[in-house]
Amino acid sequence: MSFEGPLQRLVDELARLPGVGRKSAQRIAFHLLSVDETDARRLAQAIIDLRDRVGYCRRCFNVTSSDECAICRDPRRDPAVVCVVERPQDVVVMERTHEFHGRYHVLGGALSPISGIGPNQLRIPELRRRVAEEDIEELIVATNPTVEGDATAMYISREFKPLGVRVTRLASGLPVGGDLDYADEITLGRALAGRVEI
Amino acid sequence: MRIGWVSLQDFRSYREVHWRPDPSLSILVGPNAAGKTNLLEGVAYLALLRSFRRAPDGVLVHRDAATGIVRGEVRRTDRSALIEIEIPRQGRKQVLLNGKRPARHSELSGALRVVTFLPDDLDLIKRGPGERRSYLDEVAYQVWPGAAAEQAQFERTLRQRNAFLKRGADDPVTWAVWDERLADSGARLVARRHQVVTALSGFLTDAYRDIAGKGRVEFVYRAMWTDRPEAGVEDLRADLHRALEASRRTDAERRITTVGPHRDDPNLLVDGRDARYEASQGEQRSLVLALRLAAHRVIREITGEEPVLLLDDVFSELDVDRAVALQAALPPSQTVVTTTALEHVPLEGAIFEVRGGEVVPR
Repeated sequence: MSFEGPLQRLVDELARLPGVGRKSAQRIAFHLLSVDETDARRLAQAIIDLRDRVGYCRRCFNVTSSDECAICRDPRRDPAVVCVVERPQDVVVMERTHEFHGRYHVLGGALSPISGIGPNQLRIPELRRRVAEEDIEELIVATNPTVEGDATAMYISREFKPLGVRVTRLASGLPVGGDLDYADEITLGRALAGRVEI
Repeated sequence: MRIGWVSLQDFRSYREVHWRPDPSLSILVGPNAAGKTNLLEGVAYLALLRSFRRAPDGVLVHRDAATGIVRGEVRRTDRSALIEIEIPRQGRKQVLLNGKRPARHSELSGALRVVTFLPDDLDLIKRGPGERRSYLDEVAYQVWPGAAAEQAQFERTLRQRNAFLKRGADDPVTWAVWDERLADSGARLVARRHQVVTALSGFLTDAYRDIAGKGRVEFVYRAMWTDRPEAGVEDLRADLHRALEASRRTDAERRITTVGPHRDDPNLLVDGRDARYEASQGEQRSLVLALRLAAHRVIREITGEEPVLLLDDVFSELDVDRAVALQAALPPSQTVVTTTALEHVPLEGAIFEVRGGEVVPR
């Protein structure tokens, strides 16, 4: 069955969101109907602000509400080291470690001919420009350990090493504090391949 | 390892059925299209997470339902495990192991292992090399937890490289990247296949003699791109990489990857003769049984556990000699046999009648 007018419109819109099914969409819509009006308006305003004010950093393509993102503007960050990631969400994950003090470059995805994504659909031309204009010494490639992420990492290595830039890949391996039992076989295989002398 | 019970809900022809197979041997008897194979398919689904007929998941769901469910309990001497799979008509299936979603696919590997004897098994010998590649990959899948991911990785990389060729293969750096990724995943896949070939070689001739009385069987892994499939991953990677580079012009013209593990030709020889073209009908029939028995022995040897045997209407196809030989060669694993007529089956076991969507002990 369907509801009348605006309620059904909202259910339809919510159901188009990733991870939201028909039932959840209904639950959310009825929830918004029952909460304080200010709460509902705050949500609506947040969505409007997102579209009005959030854009991409002109240097690294991280999400930002100004011209350049906070990380690129921070003078304490080392401009010589750039961590290359697939999505803006990955920046947040890296930042949470508080261990990385360079800048980022967000590719906007990974190489995937199946989906029609080649280097020019990613922000690789922009990375080339950065390497030419900035004093970048090292690219740390932190793409996902998937077929596409690995291919992208290799592409970046082949493309930028000849330019005299050091290209490194995040080591993938065992979770710290975990038992060997818990590591799946692929992870263990990679950890073995990337083993280091102690 | 054995199956304690299995239950199907909106799976194939079944609305709802709950079945406790005999701990040693069950015979499912019923007329054609009564649902015997469907029940067997449900049991195998718990182990393979796909149809043993390679049917797409969507067709497994009962036509009046949106979702099919397969559940089953696997017993070992010291523990038991519950496997539950929800199969939607469209979209991804959900798998639960002991009520929890496994963190990764490989956790499920080995929860249940089965060896199937199917009426179409002659295809393994009579048809092209694809059937034999799948046979090797399936044995690997049941034995090594990492094999499923390796196979998926190779398939995915191959699809990406083919898509790149279809779109005109314009960028040399991207091309080099896909060559290298394919060489890497392909080398791992073939090293694994060869590991299976080696493991089988010890058992295949024995199993063949159990059925045919005499003869010698060899499994030869042939690949256009290497003359040393027995070499390690490093060497295979180098060979495949070289071959991919050498076939670039052809690949660009045909817009598809023309060389690699997806074109390999694992070959079976009986007394040195090609089983596909030079063996007699009788030899071919004995050979398929030997392939299944050998798979069982390899899985038992490597994992230390007896896989469950599923025989779908196998005896009616066999002459008396082979039926008797197969009966004698069957290992003491838990076994499920289907048949349209009990007189075809030279085995003693618990009999269940399958008809009208029900399974009733006789």
